Amino acid sequence: MATVDIEGVRKLFDQVTVLDGIDLAIADREFVVLVGESGCGKSTLLRVIAGLDHATAGEIRIGGRRVNELEPRDRDIAMVFQSYALYPHMTAAGNMGFNLELRQRGRDEIRAKVGAAAGVLNLDKLLARFPRQLSGGQRQRVAMGRAIVRQPQVFLFDEPLSNLDAKLRVQMRTEIRTLHQRLAATSIYVTHDQVEAMTMADRIVVLNAGRIEQVGTPLELYDQPATRFVAGFIGSPAMNLADGTVVRVADAMALHTDGGARWPLPAAAQPFVGARATLGVRPEALGFDEDGALEGRVTVIERLGPLSYVFVDTGGVRVCCQADRHDAHRPGDAVRLSPVPSMVHLFDHATGHRMSLD
Amino acid sequence: MSAGTSALPLVGRDRIIGYGLMVVAVLCVVGPFAWILMSSFKHQIAILTGAWSFTPTWSNYAEVLFGRRSDFVGNVRNSAVVASVSTVLVLVVGTLAAYSLHRFRWARWVTTGFLGWTLIFHMIPALTLVGPWYIAFRELGWYDTLGGLILTHVTMNLPMTVWLMMAFFSEIPPEIEEAARVDGCSPLEAFRYVALPLAVPGLIAAGILAFIFSWNEFSIALNLTARDTATVPVAIARFAQQYEVQHSQMAAAAVISTIPALLLMALGQRFIVRGLTLGSVK
Repeated sequence: MATVDIEGVRKLFDQVTVLDGIDLAIADREFVVLVGESGCGKSTLLRVIAGLDHATAGEIRIGGRRVNELEPRDRDIAMVFQSYALYPHMTAAGNMGFNLELRQRGRDEIRAKVGAAAGVLNLDKLLARFPRQLSGGQRQRVAMGRAIVRQPQVFLFDEPLSNLDAKLRVQMRTEIRTLHQRLAATSIYVTHDQVEAMTMADRIVVLNAGRIEQVGTPLELYDQPATRFVAGFIGSPAMNLADGTVVRVADAMALHTDGGARWPLPAAAQPFVGARATLGVRPEALGFDEDGALEGRVTVIERLGPLSYVFVDTGGVRVCCQADRHDAHRPGDAVRLSPVPSMVHLFDHATGHRMSLD
Repeated sequence: MSAGTSALPLVGRDRIIGYGLMVVAVLCVVGPFAWILMSSFKHQIAILTGAWSFTPTWSNYAEVLFGRRSDFVGNVRNSAVVASVSTVLVLVVGTLAAYSLHRFRWARWVTTGFLGWTLIFHMIPALTLVGPWYIAFRELGWYDTLGGLILTHVTMNLPMTVWLMMAFFSEIPPEIEEAARVDGCSPLEAFRYVALPLAVPGLIAAGILAFIFSWNEFSIALNLTARDTATVPVAIARFAQQYEVQHSQMAAAAVISTIPALLLMALGQRFIVRGLTLGSVK
């Protein structure tokens, strides 16, 4: 069992709080992605788990064993670094087998294990090469191979794909996920790319300013963001957000935005009349509607192939609206929009917390 | 200093002036050496009369190396021992100190204090220290021993070695050593298997510079050695006696003494250039 339990972990660098009370329980064989903007503390949390940095307070347990005081090498973990961090003076095989050599395993065993890992990663023909003779993607694989050979309890990934070009990144994303399904080891993966988080994770942990904003499956985070931050962070294109005041107009509920637009709200918003709030609607929950309450003018159209995104200026707020691939609108067109009422989110303006519309 | 650095091409008068300056610079360096080299193949009389045409002779070399009155081979042996041992010692001490200062989280005053001290020490003329060393070594019984001279050369070379090795260690990305620590290395093993092999060019550069310094060092050796322990530079100086200067043998000995330095520079030049310019161009 390789669970990872993090309890009340705090980390201060010279009086600056980088991690502020992190509590997280990661199940055996789970693939957890830590995501957030740069400086949110996600890499620090990973380094604290690895033992490369020490927690100022709190406890970390791997497989039920407290590891706070243990050296990285005694934690039974493997880590893949953003810069790959391969040993430049060793061949690919040397890099992958270094740990086994340190543990004084026999030459045959090392060769067998390195060979097996190389087979999984399609590195068979590159084993004799030095890192400088490998492409970025191949180095990435060697770094992965170095982690696999160890057969650790927990894999730690620190933005391993951010140095690769877009196409290779998508490919490696799938490969890492496939590998995880095959090896079934607990994995903790750090990224700033929410698409990577959505596509790879069993569960996503959204971090903001050293605190956990929300933990959940990709769809939970997408459908039920707990805070305004998560709503804006998860999803691409981002959720449309507009600040305003909840009002009642005739018998219907609406959000009167600061720019003067009026967004319809479901009846469940009734308890919040008079409150300052942020409304959130995803692009796919916003449609063109001749009777729509929201007026605007088309500014830009992005055609992605399977679908199009139409950007509309509504009273100073630019919103994104998902349309089909043959959408006939042109920049400058006057349009009316209406959101799907059941897919509207409302967040408290002051705290950023979700206001229940159920 | 990348290979892609493009220089502005010189044209017309600039070109002539440029080449002219270059020729002057080369003559300044090569001229004296060529003069010594020529003298080493002349008889003493040809040197004293200032004759330009002469019949080359190996006799000076033969006299210096095999002559009954000469103990130059012994001097070369002394120099080789002093330079080799002091280089090895300074590399061991300097590399460990540089790694410790660079990698471990010492209090700021420790690092600054140590490096500041080495810098000041490096700027003090060696002759300032020779007097106290002479007195101390006489008391300790280290005067006229190779061990004493080795110790002084280690001391003189340590600042440069520490600074040079720190520059090389700072070029190694910290993640590589972190990867090694996750991979199963103790801090000492991370140094031994990862940091040290990657700093080999630095070791070569620092080693060559320390060796050449020690090989050429004159003022300390002159004061702390006697006949049996004299090194090559001291021996060369001794060809100039009160009543007679043996110009031709002095020249031959000087030429022989340049051989190790020339060989080392030829082999290790690229490492030295890299070491001295490290961090200057990103």
